Amino acid sequence: MTPASASTELPLPSREGAGGAGPQVGGSPPVAARRAGRGVRRFIRHRLALIGFATIVVLALAAALGPYLDPFNDLHIDILHRFAPPFSGPHLLGTDQLGRDMLARLEMAGRVSLTVGCAAMVLSTITGTVIGVLAGYYGGAVGAALMRFVDAMLCFPSIFLLLALAAFVQPSLLSITVIIAATGWMEVARLVEAQIRSLRDRDFAVAALALGAPDRTIMFRELIPNAVAPIVVASTLNVARAILLESYISFLGYGIQPPVPSWGNMLNNAQEYLTTAPWLAILPGAAITLAVTGFNFLGDGLRDALDPRLDVR
Amino acid sequence: MPTTSWTPAAGHAIPRRAALALGLSAGAWGVRPGRAAAQATPKPPAKPTGQVIVGLSQEPTVFNPLMPHIEVDQGVHWNLFNPLWGVDDKGNFTPQLAAEVPTVQNGGISKDGLTWKIKLRPDVKWHDGAPFTADDVKFTLELINNPHFRAYSRNGHELVSDIQVTSPTEIGWRMKKAYAPYPSILSWTFIVPQHILAKANDPNTAPFNNAPVGTGPFRWAERMAGDHITLVANEHFFGTGPYLERLVFRYIPDLTVLFTQFQTGAIDYTGIQGITADHYNQAIKIPGRKVTAGPAAFVESITMNLGRPVFQDPAVRQALYAAMDKDSIIKAIYYGLPTPTESFLPRQSWAFNPDLPKQVYDPAKAKQILDQAGWKPGAGGIREKNGVRLAFSNSTTAGNHVREQAQELLQQTWRDIGADMQIKNMPAAVIWGDYYNLSQYDSVMVGQDEMTGPDPDVTIYYSSKAIPAKGGAGLNTMQYVNPKVDELLTQGAETLDQSKRAAIYRELQTVIRGDLPMLTIFQYARIEGVKDKLIGYRPSVYVSSNCWNIGQWYWAT
Amino acid sequence: MTAYLLRRLGQSLLLLWIVSMIGFAVLHLAPGGPLAQFTLTPGMTQADLARIAHQMGLDRPLPLQYWEWLRHMLAGDWGRSYRDNQPVLTVIGGHLPATLELMVSSTLLAVVLGTWVGVLGALRQRSLFDYLATVGAMVALSIPTFWFGLVVIYAFSVKLDWLPVGGMYTIGNGSFADYVHHLIAPAMVLALVTVAIWSRYMRSSMLEVSSQDYVRTAVAKGLPRRVVILRHALRNALLPMITLAGLQLPTLLGGALVTETVFTWPGMGRLYLDSIGYRDYPVIMGLLMFTALLVLLGNLGADLLYAIYDPRIRLD
Repeated sequence: MTPASASTELPLPSREGAGGAGPQVGGSPPVAARRAGRGVRRFIRHRLALIGFATIVVLALAAALGPYLDPFNDLHIDILHRFAPPFSGPHLLGTDQLGRDMLARLEMAGRVSLTVGCAAMVLSTITGTVIGVLAGYYGGAVGAALMRFVDAMLCFPSIFLLLALAAFVQPSLLSITVIIAATGWMEVARLVEAQIRSLRDRDFAVAALALGAPDRTIMFRELIPNAVAPIVVASTLNVARAILLESYISFLGYGIQPPVPSWGNMLNNAQEYLTTAPWLAILPGAAITLAVTGFNFLGDGLRDALDPRLDVR
Repeated sequence: MPTTSWTPAAGHAIPRRAALALGLSAGAWGVRPGRAAAQATPKPPAKPTGQVIVGLSQEPTVFNPLMPHIEVDQGVHWNLFNPLWGVDDKGNFTPQLAAEVPTVQNGGISKDGLTWKIKLRPDVKWHDGAPFTADDVKFTLELINNPHFRAYSRNGHELVSDIQVTSPTEIGWRMKKAYAPYPSILSWTFIVPQHILAKANDPNTAPFNNAPVGTGPFRWAERMAGDHITLVANEHFFGTGPYLERLVFRYIPDLTVLFTQFQTGAIDYTGIQGITADHYNQAIKIPGRKVTAGPAAFVESITMNLGRPVFQDPAVRQALYAAMDKDSIIKAIYYGLPTPTESFLPRQSWAFNPDLPKQVYDPAKAKQILDQAGWKPGAGGIREKNGVRLAFSNSTTAGNHVREQAQELLQQTWRDIGADMQIKNMPAAVIWGDYYNLSQYDSVMVGQDEMTGPDPDVTIYYSSKAIPAKGGAGLNTMQYVNPKVDELLTQGAETLDQSKRAAIYRELQTVIRGDLPMLTIFQYARIEGVKDKLIGYRPSVYVSSNCWNIGQWYWAT
Repeated sequence: MTAYLLRRLGQSLLLLWIVSMIGFAVLHLAPGGPLAQFTLTPGMTQADLARIAHQMGLDRPLPLQYWEWLRHMLAGDWGRSYRDNQPVLTVIGGHLPATLELMVSSTLLAVVLGTWVGVLGALRQRSLFDYLATVGAMVALSIPTFWFGLVVIYAFSVKLDWLPVGGMYTIGNGSFADYVHHLIAPAMVLALVTVAIWSRYMRSSMLEVSSQDYVRTAVAKGLPRRVVILRHALRNALLPMITLAGLQLPTLLGGALVTETVFTWPGMGRLYLDSIGYRDYPVIMGLLMFTALLVLLGNLGADLLYAIYDPRIRLD
């Protein structure tokens, strides 16, 4: 079950990582290579996941390479040619409220949004994994204290964390990433902790301990690789969530500073022109939706591919 | 959204008030001529009828007019309470609770400005039926100065002493020193009932604060927190009106949604923050609506922190001003609605100086000024001098999209002359806290009404004793110091004769314009819309909210 | 069981305390404050601001302020709003019904719709319907709600004039029909995300249950698959959904925030945004405590329900 949290309309749909110990499904001891092969095959069969993956690749390439191919700069203000609709002139996707080229801005914004999304995911995954592993492995007082800290952080609504943290730091690419990560690591920690807790009593871990391996080795060499599946799934979904959160932060006024575009702040600025210049909202909105959908499909596909329970059937 | 910006959106200033009255201004520069301008105005109804729904993008939450409040709260106060005298849209004082406005001529104020005697109206009743007397006035003034009461501002009131009530309609007091702005301050000071508040244990938390009782044209009916406030007609109002049976203030946090509700007719009047410049062209095409871009007292400027080394060189300030493309900002980004200005006072003020040198957009001249002052282009094309880079940040309330556009335009034009401006916007609760008050900023883009009520006294913003970062009591966050200005400010506040004061303030504006501690861009216009059958709306620069005269509004039948 | 409950309650109280401390510190240490809104009001001076700050007790040392707040809180006094001076509980209570109305109606809508879509998708796995439902759900999860809300307003209120632009009811008209009329659009928009999640959960839950042995046995015994699914599997699949519904409780607060802003709905999310915007510390702390309480109770309830439902789970 998804751990209860005070986050907004975006809980992670995940089956793994229950708040308590989930039912133990008996299965063969994980053999990495065999599973990987089966996993990849299952993944390829999952068409939607492939489409999602392809979408992301296309968006990423457009964002990375597009600006080199554009005739226009994303920052250049041309006040005389504001609000040019798409396909009406030299600007392929039209211009925005300051006359800047929409295509160039979408691509640069893609760089920002995708980078923030992925970086926030990496940060929250690393933080959540480390805390989750420490808590799951050591258990006892240390584990309880860490998990209670995680619970405490889960009590804060994302909004509160976002707004309070944003007040502390100067809005910048780095701070936005940190803030988004700060609202997402708790779920990863709970996930990982539950996994590690169930894995640490398994034969292979006990054997490693008996052989005298140091804690660190057990944690990072034995346990984490076997908990990778739900972490990967959660990570992809976290990117999706991060991209959406970035747009929400812009909506609330704490987003990336102008004139740097991000899909979120482009969408936010386009609200008042919804009726007069709808493409200003439609384009970044579509980009966000495509990217988030892509990551969601990817995560879904990965979950199906990596789900150990499917091995039993 | 996010409408946590508390400075009003930009707008349009009527160049000529006469044109407004005659409806002669063309298209985007004036009142959109409606049928009301062409025909004779219909008469108000005999009994209060109908209701008006006012849409506001911030929620009024303070109903004790003496406690700290913002402009939207005042919009409600104007309808519930009365000051001793009000101020009309031409700047004249209009007696309300006072029988006549005290002046030196009629003896209400002594020649030295120290002794005041005021005669009050005898026929005023509070909403609960109790009679209004001079005791209420005395109570109000004493409450403001009460150290346990969280008063909004004591400016001017702290000079009042020895309040004497000689009869239920006569009151007098002594001022500790002559203070010319005080009548203006009193025009914004609402009188509260002694018979209710004196009984409260703690006036800060009295039930009165959420069920106010005043003398105004409307009575308190109900409030649904977060949604709306309803007032009903005060049948026993002493003045003319009210002509409406019900007045509803509706809170609509998102400006786009506010506009949409105006479009569909769900609200009858768009109050603060009105219609954004971006929607103006759409707004004037809506049938059955009258959209006015009326003047406001707010002036938009780039205010610089003169404590920063880069701003201490006057050449930098002059160059930045010369490289400011005001035309594009006003005509393109704000759709030509506000008026360019050189002064911190609104055009409509009697102290306004129309002869200040006009800014001309001349980037070549800007570069020349900088070259001559020794600012040579350095790394990345940004100028430097003596190790100081011509680089600074500019902050404003996050979420004000139109302002952001102006910032981005300025960023580009300034970069062309070798100045590097970084945009650092933050939410209102952050930027207007210590960041602004204690001069922690480099520069801000701010819209300010620096008058004291309808009075041009700007001591708190320009006096060298008013620098909070240096322990001062005012809000001179620019850290501007000019002894000549200090002198003029003191004279202006002490001189009682208006024509003499006008000359002093005109000189003040010339000096400040020469120093350029801030780069004034334009004077605001509040773009507001009413349904065209609604009569009585009159924008005024002398009040903080155009809800000031809803007691005179009515529906044409 | 009792020992477990007591232990969890004790832990919850400890957590509440930690949350209150962190929240209080973060709030008060963040730059800006409740007086920033008055800085630009004409006539305001730094002397006035300093005086007001002192009168509100904002210049006292932070631990002292926290202790005052905690002391009153423990005595049941949640403080008064800085803005309209109403008791915090009254303020929260005033906004709660609106959010409840919205959440309940959108959840009902989402549950009904989501269950239908999810079950059908599970029954007709890999059919066109299933693919469309899956894609639709994913897209629905990915659309920024504020954008979608504005589009709905533009389409249904401005262009078609079928639905009101916002608010809970028309002033002066308090009829039930009017309430419902105003509820449709925001409930629809809010339900968007919930339908998607619900249908996904329902589908995967159904699939999980359908692969269980007892289902296969029933089918092998000759019962039509459909009957088995709908009569046996559905009931079992719904149980964890109930737990999920309970877990939605904490999202009561932030969940509808964006919808409430766009549709001018005077609910808790809106209250949260405004309070943070104006730094109305007492209300924010009150809301924080309220949410934390809901989250902790929700967690506890979920764990208990889950343990009751699945005897394999050990509460430890």
